[in-house]
Amino acid sequence: MFQPASLKGDSPSPIDEGIRNKYLFLYLIIVFLSFYPCIILEYVYVILLWKKGFYLIFFLLVPLNILILIHVLQLSAVLFSFLFLTIIKLLFLPKEGVFNRDLKDKNYLFWNLRNIAKKWPLFINGSNPFPWLKNRFILRFFGVKIGKNGIIDNSWISSEFVSIGKNVILGMGSTLLSFGIEQDKFFLKRIIIEDNVLIGAKCIIMPGTYMEQNAKLSAHSYTKIDDVLIENSINIGHPAKMKKN
Amino acid sequence: MQNKDNTRFEIDYISTSGVFKTPFTLVIILQLFFGYFVLLSLNLWFYNDLYFLLTGKGFLPYVLVGEWWEWLLLPMNIYGNILLFAFSIILFSAGIFKILNKLCPPKEGIFLRGSKEWKYTHRRFWTVFFPIWLARALPLPWSDIMVYRLLGVRIGRNVVAYEGYIDPQLVEIGDFTMTSLHICIFSHLIYQDRIVIKKVKIGKTCIVGPQTIISPGTILEDGAILGANSYTWLDQHLEGDLIHVGTPVSMTFPIQSVEESLQKAERIREGKKDIVNEGNKKHKIGGKEG
Repeated sequence: MFQPASLKGDSPSPIDEGIRNKYLFLYLIIVFLSFYPCIILEYVYVILLWKKGFYLIFFLLVPLNILILIHVLQLSAVLFSFLFLTIIKLLFLPKEGVFNRDLKDKNYLFWNLRNIAKKWPLFINGSNPFPWLKNRFILRFFGVKIGKNGIIDNSWISSEFVSIGKNVILGMGSTLLSFGIEQDKFFLKRIIIEDNVLIGAKCIIMPGTYMEQNAKLSAHSYTKIDDVLIENSINIGHPAKMKKN
Repeated sequence: MQNKDNTRFEIDYISTSGVFKTPFTLVIILQLFFGYFVLLSLNLWFYNDLYFLLTGKGFLPYVLVGEWWEWLLLPMNIYGNILLFAFSIILFSAGIFKILNKLCPPKEGIFLRGSKEWKYTHRRFWTVFFPIWLARALPLPWSDIMVYRLLGVRIGRNVVAYEGYIDPQLVEIGDFTMTSLHICIFSHLIYQDRIVIKKVKIGKTCIVGPQTIISPGTILEDGAILGANSYTWLDQHLEGDLIHVGTPVSMTFPIQSVEESLQKAERIREGKKDIVNEGNKKHKIGGKEG
């Protein structure tokens, strides 16, 4: 959908200020490396087609070239960040739980590092004007499972500890947060959304929410932490409660 | 849920406007090529003329104008090309939108997934996907309003539309109305395996607060204000010259003048009871909360 920049579905990946400048080089390396495949693509395009007799074809295929270029940039950004992510994950394995919000705590430190590594591909994914190869394609590399036949491009989905089933409809501008910060505590909890779930517009799914099959969440409501929405139920309110018929 | 006449219906929850990816998304490639060809033809003409002015011979076999004043257009080249690309695509897709409207005009009602109306709403939405993205990427504040007008959405004079989602069909916005940030104005909703389409009407001098959702069938009378962070249920009717608040909208307040609110503040400071608020009429309109 043609959401404005404020609703474009960028995945939330905040970074602690204490670490932002220190590991900026990691972000810049990924940005830098991801442009090389694009340069190779353009080089091949010019070498192949800028010849006598081919000028017309060269000019005719430019829009297609740009379309492919954007997707190549997106793909290469994802691949290089995936490379760094695997290294970061080898150093320290991400796990769920409640931790101290302190850079001395390794869980918090490495969560920030992972966010730095993911920032660039998620940004490109958000600003891509074409509706193909969006969230479902990108988040798969970061370990988010998303089933087929859904509408998932209009919402902010956290890039780890989330699994989404088939035929799921996520509303416009709704947010799936698998992390939370509260005072000096930081927690990571898995969100599980099963098949055929519907989430309305502008909902907020808090960490640890488990939505069973066919559960429905009405627009403009939010769930509690570690909430369970039962099968075939309709939930509504702040926080969401089951609606009795 | 559905009556015989297919016009009034009750729903249990407000869902979202969602559009599935259909093969019709390929219309975006068509739009891209159209915009590019307009750009290419005009630039070829322009640079051929400049080349002719410099050397006395064009690189194309013919020269169309070749006058001195074409040098004056040179500073406009970069920004003019961006505008040309965007507006040619906007006009082209408005044309496609009109054709789709002729083939199957937007209708109110409930439609099953896979029906003709379902298909054509999807086609309409994918047609306007790219032009509205372009209009919002341009640094012109009126460009997205202009696109909506070209598509046939009735938007009055002096409308302020901040960044927010507005459906391109069956929406009407009156003069001097303001819609705030992060709003969703839906004229269609997904409901189970159906799609509910109903017209939204926003009157003159209304204010739609930030973070609100307007569901299909909502009517805002002239001068109505929808408070921040509230949403309307299906077929809600908001009276004019009142403030409406609630999730979904259930409370109304009168609009105070500056003098009245100052007096009220003074009364509260003195420790007296708030007389104005007691006299307010509070009535439930469409509270459907379980």
